[in-house]
Amino acid sequence: MISVKHLKKSFGDLEVLKDINADINQKEVVVVIGPSGSGKSTFLRCLNLIEPVTDGTVMIDGVELTDKKVDINKLRAEVGMVFQQFNLFPHKTVIENITLPIITVKKWNKTDAEQKAKDLLKKVGLLEKANAYPESLSGGQKQRVAIARALGMEPKVMLFDEPTSALDPEMVGEVLEVMKQLAEEGMTMVVVTHEMGFAKEVGDRVIFMDEGYIVEENEPNQLFDDPQHQRTKAFLSKVL
Amino acid sequence: MDFRFDIIVEYFPFFMEGMGLTILMSVVGVIMGCILGFFIALGKMSPFVFVRLPFVWYINFLRGTPLLVQLFLFHYAVLPSILGSTTPVLSVMVTLSLNSSAYVAEIFRAGLQSIDKGQAEAAHSLGMNKIQVMRHVLLPQAFKRSIPPLGNEFIVLLKDSSLGAMIAAQELLYWGRAASGQYLRVWEPYLMVALVYLVLTLSLTYLLNYMERRFDVK
Ligand SMILES: Nc1ncnc2c1ncn2[C@@H]1O[C@H](COP(=O)(O)OP(=O)(O)OP(=O)(O)O)[C@@H](O)[C@H]1O
Ligand SMILES: [Mg+2]
Repeated sequence: MISVKHLKKSFGDLEVLKDINADINQKEVVVVIGPSGSGKSTFLRCLNLIEPVTDGTVMIDGVELTDKKVDINKLRAEVGMVFQQFNLFPHKTVIENITLPIITVKKWNKTDAEQKAKDLLKKVGLLEKANAYPESLSGGQKQRVAIARALGMEPKVMLFDEPTSALDPEMVGEVLEVMKQLAEEGMTMVVVTHEMGFAKEVGDRVIFMDEGYIVEENEPNQLFDDPQHQRTKAFLSKVL
Repeated sequence: MDFRFDIIVEYFPFFMEGMGLTILMSVVGVIMGCILGFFIALGKMSPFVFVRLPFVWYINFLRGTPLLVQLFLFHYAVLPSILGSTTPVLSVMVTLSLNSSAYVAEIFRAGLQSIDKGQAEAAHSLGMNKIQVMRHVLLPQAFKRSIPPLGNEFIVLLKDSSLGAMIAAQELLYWGRAASGQYLRVWEPYLMVALVYLVLTLSLTYLLNYMERRFDVK
């Protein structure tokens, strides 16, 4: 599904991703962990070209992202992204947040888009908030709307960048629940998170990143119980 | 000191006429200023230096020179050489429009740049192109944030339109000067003119506060 080869990314002189190689299979849930500043967000952002890639190749579903001929907007629509800060559109209602891209990008008519949005809101348990504005929602509700909004584009892959890090502890569960449900439905997911419980329960594979490299990757139980590298051990001893 | 109300009474119709012109010139100035200012803001935010530079200097010039100098320049030099001739009112409207466009451009630019980067990123990540992101996500939010400073700009413009008296545009201050010249009195006409400006700016302030409240209820 996703194939990353020799991915490098620099901001000016600062090389943030040094040589990333990874393959993510269809329906796989890959959890990315690592210390702050290790390049996790940057890696994710390269996967839907919010950050232009400096060097290397990223293939998604047979399409080479860095190819100049590729229609970036079409590609991005197929890769959903959920952010730590939700990034809902504050001037639009919940349902408008979801229908806006469906109408403008997928060119659906309003009625169909609204039907789709309602189905998605039902799925994340927020149908009764359809006409509310984001500012009146709790953090957990905002993030569930953001997930519904990304799903509206019917993406092939979903990327999550610390989706629960900005939430009060009591709201983390409701968001993880939605993500778990998505995983069970067979969505291909790449999730940056500090929720090790989620990684163990839902993840098929865990990638540990440090200083711009993938240091180690393995099945969750293997990686958590028997880390091979010193840096992985050091990191896990701090977070577990 | 005796206060000659009869002068004010006699000139009252002229003051009202002048007020009408003051309002007209300010409204034209602010509308044109908004339209032009929008494009100038976009131009100034261009990623290309060569596109950006003319807009930067347009704004520098209009904000960095006195409005009265600009008015003389347009009335006596620029407009006559472009159009062949000009009228005081036309000159004032053109000068106010261009002058306010520079300030409005900066207001819009500040509004756009104050929007969190995550907004554009989220919109792009959903597949929206640059124009769609601008139109549906950034501009509506930036516009809302621009309303208070735009209101201030309108009030400044209304007061600045009094400079039109210097080239004999028959706005409010012009009639004050006329009355003063005819009767050789200074208190009555200028107090009257000041009062009318005050009524105008206070009404405008009130109107703008009302609009701000209206726009906040989404
Ligand atoms: N736009 C940018 N310009 C310059 N440097 C950047 C930019 N974005 C990220 N960086 C730098 O790249 C490095 C990696 O950042 P990144 O956000 O990918 O880390 P992370 O692993 O997601 O960390 P965290 O856990 O704190 O989110 C950091 O040193 C950061 O300062
Ligand atoms: Mg990060």
